[in-house]
This record gives sequence, C-alpha cells and structure tokens, in this order.
Amino acid sequence: MAKSTSKDAQALIQSLRSAYAATPTNLKIIDLYVVFAIFTALIQVVYMAIVGSFPFNAFLSGVLSCTGTAVLAVCLRIQVNKENKEFKDLPPERAFADFVLCNLVLHLVIMNFLG
Amino acid sequence: MAKLLLFLTLIPLLPFLCTSFSPENPSSRRALVLLDDLALKSSHSDFFKSLQSRGFDLDFKLADDPKIALQRYGQYLYDGLILFCPTTERFGGSVDLAAILDFVDSGHDLIVVADTNASDLIREIATECGVDFDEDAAAMVVDHTSYAVSETEGDHTLIASDDFIKADVILGGKKIEAPVLFQGIGHSLNPANTLVLKVLSASPSAYSANPKTKLANPPSLTGSAISLVSILQARNNARILISGSLNMFSNRFFKSGVQKAGSSIKHEKSGNEQFLTELSKWVFHERGHLKAVNVRHNNAGEADEPAMYRISDDLEYSVEIYEWSGTSWEPYVADDVQVQFYMMSPYVLKNLSTDKKGHYFTAFKVPDVYGVFQFKVEYQRLGYTSLSLSKQIPVRPYRHNEYERFIPAAYPYYGAAFSMMAGFFIFTGVHLYNK
Repeated sequence: MAKSTSKDAQALIQSLRSAYAATPTNLKIIDLYVVFAIFTALIQVVYMAIVGSFPFNAFLSGVLSCTGTAVLAVCLRIQVNKENKEFKDLPPERAFADFVLCNLVLHLVIMNFLG
Repeated sequence: MAKLLLFLTLIPLLPFLCTSFSPENPSSRRALVLLDDLALKSSHSDFFKSLQSRGFDLDFKLADDPKIALQRYGQYLYDGLILFCPTTERFGGSVDLAAILDFVDSGHDLIVVADTNASDLIREIATECGVDFDEDAAAMVVDHTSYAVSETEGDHTLIASDDFIKADVILGGKKIEAPVLFQGIGHSLNPANTLVLKVLSASPSAYSANPKTKLANPPSLTGSAISLVSILQARNNARILISGSLNMFSNRFFKSGVQKAGSSIKHEKSGNEQFLTELSKWVFHERGHLKAVNVRHNNAGEADEPAMYRISDDLEYSVEIYEWSGTSWEPYVADDVQVQFYMMSPYVLKNLSTDKKGHYFTAFKVPDVYGVFQFKVEYQRLGYTSLSLSKQIPVRPYRHNEYERFIPAAYPYYGAAFSMMAGFFIFTGVHLYNK
C-alpha cells in the first residue's frame, strides 16, 4: 500500500512537471516573480518571530509590500493567460497598464507606512 | 512747632520698636514665666540667668495674675512660655488650656514643669502633649538603688539619674559627666506616640509611689518606663519640654555635689546645670533647627529651570540646608538627605552629596515614564526640625521628531520594501521586452 502511494505521488509530480513545462515563457516569468515576493515575505515573518515586532509598522509595511506585489502579479498572470476564457477580450496591454498603476499606488502607501 | 519737630523725628523710630523676634535678630526674644510663688525668681535664678544671657527677655508673673495674656489683638506677645507653677488650678487673665494649646499650635515653644501634688490643669496640659503623669497626685519617683546620697533626706525620693537620650542635637556635644538630681513625680509616654521622646529616664529599679503611705498595690509606673524629663517636637516644629520636678531647676540642685548610691565617685557639681542649659537651648530652637532654601533643578549643563522635562533627560537637583546655631545660620552637614522623584511612588531615590557648605546636590536620569512628578525631600531626624519640600514638574514623552530617523531593527523591512520596488522595475522591463 505504501509503495503504491509513493509511486502515485511520484507520478503526480511528474505529470505536474511535464504540464508546467508546456506553459508559455512569459507566464513562467510572472510565476518566478510571485515566488520571489512570497519568499521575501516569509523571510520577514521569520525575522519578526526571532527579533520581536518592535517597529510593527515597518514589519507590516514590508510584509504587505511583498504580499501586495504577489497578488498584483497573480492578477496580471490571470489576465494575460491566453488559455483563460474569461479575459479573452481583454487586451494584454490594458492588463499591464492596470498592473503598473496598482503597483505605483501600492508602493506609495508602503513608503508612507514604512516610517 | 517744637512739638511738631519732636513728633517728626520720633516717627522714623517707630519701625525699630515694632520688630519682634526673627532669626536674624535673636537678641529680642521674649518669654513669659508663670510662677506659683515669686520666691522662685531668686531660688531658680541660675536657670533664668542662663536664659537671659542668651538674649531672652523674661517676664515673671504669678500664675493667677489677672493681667497675664499671651496674645493681644491677634498677635502673640511672647516667643516662649515657661510654666513653673505645678500647683496652679487656674491661670489668671486670658490664659487657659485652650490658649496655651493655641500658643503651641502657632509654632511657639513651651516648658511645663510639674511636681508632687501637681494640679489637674498642669496634668491636662501634659496629657495634651502626649505625656501621662502618675494618677496618684502625691506620688513621687522612688529609687532604692539609684538614689543620691544625702545627709538630710533618707526616703530615696532624691534620685540621681544618668540615663540620658543619645542625641547630641538635644543634649549638646559635650558628655554630661555627673548624674542629674531629680526629686518629683514621674510620667510615662504612650509608645504609639512618635513625636514624644524620653530625655531622662529613671533606672530600672525606680517606681512611682507615695513615700509617706504604705504601698497598698504594686505601683503602676515602674522601671525605665518612667520618664523624668521628656520632650515633644510637634509637627509644626514647636518644641515642648516636660519635667516632673521643679527642684531640678533650682540653684540648690545646680550647685550641689552628687554621689550616686552604690558608686564611690563623688561629683563636685551635679549635671543639672549643663543638662538643663543644653536642653533649653534645644527647646528654644538654638540647636537642631533646619531651614531648606533655594531648591533648584535644571537640565545637565544648563542654568535655568525648565518648565517641563522629557523622559531620559539628564537632570540636576540642588538644595541648600542651614542650621540655626543660636546666632547665625550655619551650613548643615549630613550624608543622609535624600531626594525622591515621586509620582504615586518614588521612581528615583538618591542620596544628596554635599560640599559641606550647606549645598546639597545630585544628578540623575529621568525615568522612562511620563506624567507629573514631584521632587520630594522628606527629612525627619531625631531632634531636628522636619523638612518637607516638594516641587512639581511634568515629564513628557518623546516628540514625534525626537525618535531615531531609521530604526536599526527595521532594516530588513526597509530592504524588503525596496527590493520589491526594484523587482517590480526589472519585471516590467522583462515582461515588455520578452517575445
């Protein structure tokens, strides 16, 4: 029974990998960007757990900038993905413009809250 | 015309006639001495002369003289009151128990002397001062092991005591070598009363009883609990001396030699004169009277007093304390004066260091708490007037722009935010120019 589950897991990972290899390059770049943001957020949370939350506003600002960036990148990926039927009529340039404007607002707020 | 000129020249002299005692002018202190019997004026002349030589203007009156008055038109006429009238039932004039208590409450000093068969009035005055004389009016202090050897009296009521209070402030710096002769009534102090002190106690073998009758029950006052001479320093710093023997102040006792029973040392002169002279100096504020002036506080390095401090400021506090020496204000030297930085409880308690010229100072850091604080100096020592100084000062927290600009603990967060911005720029570039 154990052997079959491990074999199943391995087969699952293999299929995931092969499917992922088929995605277009620009989506892979966006995925990399999201992973970078989440990773930075995790580092900050671990740092806060060790050192304590003294300038709490700075902590929130850092984590929120990472999370916000990740969320906006995910939105861009959804809107830019050609396989997504929902956003078929949305020009990718429009999606990118929204992304840039939202990021500008996000970083303005972050800079203010950072202290 | 001549009359007018005389009048005009005398007018400027009026102010000089109106000055009463002030510490700057000690040579005009006035005391009222109430006597049972004018013969006391000569039989106790040595004590009175010692007071007069120190600048006292003594006013001798019989206790039932109808013209005696302590105050007139709201102003007190005397700076001290000496009651050498143990058997007086009622005072004459406007003096009574309430008037005497008001006199003390207004800060003036009192000497009350009782004796055997003291009147109820004198006992009441003593009770108001916290001292309880023996209920038996005819009782005297008897001591069969510590009496003074004398050819005339054999009933051991003349006792020689050298159980003094250990305080240089009260009894002077010089040790009293000879014992003090005492013949009279003893009293006890309520142990719960913190203001009254025993200056001269009886020996452990003394007891208070009527020497002429047989002892029916054991005496109520015995041993060292019997106080022969006590003092009280009231909370307004008025000083009261209570003694149970009028003879103790007499010339006869001052001049007589004394030999304590059981000891072979015969002293030429009893300790009475030195003891009572030094004690009267203390009672009339010629010793142990402190004043604190010139309380100052400022930020370290600055000279003026700010209206408010900030937390974690360095501040300096200083005060000047002087002691009246009978003729002038001398610097007070002690190492146990403390200042508290107080808000509901002392956050800082520091000993003040002194430069031995009366200037006390210290420096400390304001604690990390904001609120309204007080600089408090509460100084109460045996025999000295109490000092109670308090100065209020608010303490504020940091202003918005008094924090560090960049907090070192937050550098990772700054780094993360900026790295996100950099990543965003790089990503847009890559995204736009990627085929």
